[in-house]
Amino acid sequence: MTRGAASTPLARAALLGIALAFLGVFLVAPLVAVFAEALSKGFAAYGAALIERDALSAVRLTLLVAAISVPLNIVFGLAASWAIAKFDFRGKSVLITLIDLPFSVSPVVSGLIYVLLFGAQGWFGPWLRAHDVEIIFAVPGLVLATMFITFPFVARELIPLMQEQGRDDEEAALSLGASGWQTFRRVTLPNIRWGLLYGVLLCNARAMGEFGAVSVVSGHIRGKTNTMPLHVEILYNEYNFAAAFAVASLLALLALVTLTLKSILEWRYGIHGRTGY
Amino acid sequence: MSIRLTDISKRFGAFTALTDINLTARPGEFLALLGPSGSGKTTLLRIIAGLEFPERGTVHFEGSDITGLSVAERRIGFVFQQYALFKHMTVAENIGFGLSVRPRRERPSRRAIRARAQELLDLVQLGDLGNRLPAQLSGGQRQRVALARALAVDPTLLLLDEPFGALDAKVRKELRHWLRGFHDRVGLTSIFVTHDQGEALEVADRVVVMSNGAIEQIGTPAEVYDAPANAFVFDFVGESNRIPVTAADGKAIFRGSALDVDANGVRGPGELFFRPHDARIGSVDEVGIDAIVSLVRPREGRVRVESAIDGVSGPIELDVAPDAAPTPGQAIRIVPTRARVFADRIAGARAA
Ligand SMILES: Nc1ncnc2c1ncn2[C@@H]1O[C@H](COP(=O)(O)OP(=O)(O)OP(=O)(O)O)[C@@H](O)[C@H]1O
Ligand SMILES: [Mg+2]
Repeated sequence: MTRGAASTPLARAALLGIALAFLGVFLVAPLVAVFAEALSKGFAAYGAALIERDALSAVRLTLLVAAISVPLNIVFGLAASWAIAKFDFRGKSVLITLIDLPFSVSPVVSGLIYVLLFGAQGWFGPWLRAHDVEIIFAVPGLVLATMFITFPFVARELIPLMQEQGRDDEEAALSLGASGWQTFRRVTLPNIRWGLLYGVLLCNARAMGEFGAVSVVSGHIRGKTNTMPLHVEILYNEYNFAAAFAVASLLALLALVTLTLKSILEWRYGIHGRTGY
Repeated sequence: MSIRLTDISKRFGAFTALTDINLTARPGEFLALLGPSGSGKTTLLRIIAGLEFPERGTVHFEGSDITGLSVAERRIGFVFQQYALFKHMTVAENIGFGLSVRPRRERPSRRAIRARAQELLDLVQLGDLGNRLPAQLSGGQRQRVALARALAVDPTLLLLDEPFGALDAKVRKELRHWLRGFHDRVGLTSIFVTHDQGEALEVADRVVVMSNGAIEQIGTPAEVYDAPANAFVFDFVGESNRIPVTAADGKAIFRGSALDVDANGVRGPGELFFRPHDARIGSVDEVGIDAIVSLVRPREGRVRVESAIDGVSGPIELDVAPDAAPTPGQAIRIVPTRARVFADRIAGARAA
């Protein structure tokens, strides 16, 4: 396509039309449908579906999984990107490739890996049983699977940012007598805060919304190992559409909030990205 | 503070960045590390600072071996080429940073830090800019903030990496004179890196000329300019002309005629170096180098004459008085009044 063609008013309108149509069909319509379906039996039924015992337990579990895996991801993301951006070591490119692994592996496979490792028939299964440790079909398994799926998010956001910023600021702080921790807290962290927040936001959205990997390790025990996405599926399979969509609407809301915060961050972050000196 | 570097060598993987560097700085001295890009100046400065560690050799401060000490333990002031100001802190916070990260027992009060920052701001003549962010300063102002920040921790040694590199010519000149005056007032030992020979000659007490990770010469500006130790220094420090000659019987011989230039102990193929102001246009009966004038331009009260010698690459430049200026196309005979001969290592090796 040539620039000339794209800049004629007609072509522009056509392209814009196509883009908007796609957005409408694939994003807006489903979103509207989710809320419409959720409210199809009225607000009372909607509210009841949300405060139902199993639904509440699913919400609680989802929050718990996110509350554990997101902070751990922050720690991992910071450590990995710090190491990659500020030090030279052998195997650096291997590490970078490994960080991308969860993006290229199907979530179901990720879940299966944990079953293979920690399941009753898995490598560590007998040992775990002997010591009374439950991982698969229990909360630890959900956390592990979620962490695996989400661990690139923070690191991927921070690596390019830290690489671009170089080591000068840190070296300046050290030369002024700051300790490693002071340097991190007072110089590095402020430099990367927007990028970090952005990564955390995406990581959180994925942690709460993940289906495939958690589905494999969860065991779908109602009220015990069901996260929100899993609960939605169960309700749906039971033809309990209104309740399914009610819980789904919470996830949709999460997506909308994430999107809004993301835009705000991009706006701020964009401004920050440009003042390089 | 006195500094002594002994047999410093540094490698990056298979690449040797520095070989056998020996250097001393006397207390209160203002040293310039001068050399072309990639010659290892920054690496050497970083080794002195403790930001980089040598494979071999030792660093002594005031006679004690500090080779293994980290940058934080060395109490030096380091000014980075790109300033490396903390962009989320105000100018005053930047300057106070070094004091604010001290262990609680040694840390001055907030007010004392603020007062010290103001004192330094006044010193670098930025008195009322303390509340600005670095982004709101000009390049020259940032440079001064970086300097003030480095000075806040009372270093005994100030290290500056191309401190004026990113500034325009006029600001550069102002700042380097200011820095020199400042150095004299404060009485620190200072080492700065530059690839600008004019800068090094103008402000340093001694100049360390480097190339390819080795020191070519250490001397006062007058020494490196007037008595370059080798062809590299002659070529790199100041303007120079280079003409291939042969040395025989203690004289430099160019195309059969023996010039009035001592061969400097060289025998066989050599190179004759002279500066544009160290040659004149002679008369036809004098011994000299024949050239054809290609360009004549006025230059700071003199006239710069560019000429070409048949078979010699590059123009030969001389400065003459305006009333003696030739015209382009004219044949002239160049008579060097002060010149040096160095052995041509490449041609010498080929001949051997
Ligand atoms: N961290 C590093 N890893 C690998 N090579 C390096 C590293 N730092 C410097 N070098 C190499 O060492 C050599 C000397 O570098 P250095 O930065 O000291 O040069 P310089 O004299 O300061 O040059 P310039 O004037 O361009 O700043 C260069 O060839 C450079 O590529
Ligand atoms: Mg350098």
